[in-house]
Amino acid sequence: MITLINIELYKIFKKWRTYIGFLVIAVIVPVINFAMLAEGEKSLDFMTRNLQQSFVFVGNLLNGYLVSYFILISLAVHIPFLITLVAGDLLAGEATAGTYRILITRPVSRMNIISSKFIAGFIYTAFLVLWLAIMSLGIGMIIFGVGELIVVKSSGIIIFARNDVFWRFLGAYGFAILSMTVVTALAFLFSSLVENAIGPIISTMAIIIVFLIVSALQINFFRKIEPYLFTTYMSSWRLFFDDPVDYAALYKSIAILAGHIALFFGATVLIFKRKDILT
Amino acid sequence: MKKIILFLIIPVVCFAQSNKSDEILNLVKENFNKIKDYQVNVHIKVDVNFIKVPEGDATIYFKQPDKIKLKSEGFAMLPKEGINFSPLNFLTGDYTSIFDKEENVDDNPCYLIKVIPLGDKSDLILTNLWVDKKQYIIRKIESTTKSNGTFIIELNYDKDIKYPLPSSMVFSFNVQKMEIPVGVMGDADEINKTEEEPRRKSKATSGKVYVNYSDYKINIGLPDNIFEKEEK
Repeated sequence: MITLINIELYKIFKKWRTYIGFLVIAVIVPVINFAMLAEGEKSLDFMTRNLQQSFVFVGNLLNGYLVSYFILISLAVHIPFLITLVAGDLLAGEATAGTYRILITRPVSRMNIISSKFIAGFIYTAFLVLWLAIMSLGIGMIIFGVGELIVVKSSGIIIFARNDVFWRFLGAYGFAILSMTVVTALAFLFSSLVENAIGPIISTMAIIIVFLIVSALQINFFRKIEPYLFTTYMSSWRLFFDDPVDYAALYKSIAILAGHIALFFGATVLIFKRKDILT
Repeated sequence: MKKIILFLIIPVVCFAQSNKSDEILNLVKENFNKIKDYQVNVHIKVDVNFIKVPEGDATIYFKQPDKIKLKSEGFAMLPKEGINFSPLNFLTGDYTSIFDKEENVDDNPCYLIKVIPLGDKSDLILTNLWVDKKQYIIRKIESTTKSNGTFIIELNYDKDIKYPLPSSMVFSFNVQKMEIPVGVMGDADEINKTEEEPRRKSKATSGKVYVNYSDYKINIGLPDNIFEKEEK
């Protein structure tokens, strides 16, 4: 199985499109950091202007943690696109390249083939999120240093002590890996249905965009269906930045996302096992 | 005849009340003016329902008449009115004062003086000062402002004090709950929000800030550059 995963990873990292995601993050994160260097104080003043009317405060609130938090919010919606580029190609790519039949004729079960591909896709997803974590926290800390993290919500302001922040980021990035794996699983499912990677990429993104729009619209009808959309739970990484952390809501989100992964992967296995390979 | 007597007595009584309060306040000012400058370490705990802040340590620098600076290695915040409890803050400009009554604050007999600023420049509308009868130190301040509602400052002192500087302070205030601009952060409260949970509306809320003072360094000749605004 490990050999199969290694082969799949080799195939993934042999393609240049795999590096698009890493490249995008390597470019956008420093750009955001430099933008924050120029305009961050203004943003912070805007966020705390009401607080400043009543309180005097000192300390380094514009720091690497705050910038990383901004980046995580900004990119959480866009990272799925980078993931589908690879995950949508995992099975459909074999069809496009005409290697399906060769692959299936090897003395390996279809279950093992599909599992190894999915695990390789998961590893790529995890690497991409880890790359985002390293880039945002690393560059943010180098440029701005560390400090307390201010999180502004409509219900109030939370300022986390500097020694109470890092574990929250670890949790948030861990959760991001899980939520992005749902995207991987969905693109993987679509990838098993077609013979060209463009279809799974566009279909996955279309679903995510539609779900996000439905979630964003403040219409009662959409509010009712919102709990049934997996995208609703993808932003639950923010629960790590609450005090106290609502673990019940967090576990619920984890369970729902894990359930979606199992569902999408299960459906992919069923489809792939029954699939008549003609290419 | 009665009217004439009343007409004569009322101003005399008022003048006497005002005169007594001025005497007391002058003694308070005199007492506080013994301090030219000071530096003190503070431990701050903020208890406001819409702001969660970790307890923090900072240093306050003060120099007469009104220079004040809050410095901290980490994050620290204090209410604007609570950073400097100098009685001179409440007794600047033109004001009129009235001796109200004698009242105990934590078993300490005090004079209750009402201070009303004259004119409309001051943000203060009315300040009640509880002045310790024996030591002429301020034990409690209750002030109503135009912009920030009403606040109460309760000051505790060590037993034998040389200077009128407190060992702890409790700052209580009422503020209108802030409309917080979530801006680029989005609103994390939207996560898992159900239809039954409407957005919390702005309403009045109360809060307390607890400050403990330690390691006073008084009249050490603090240089002016400490109070200069640091370049960001």
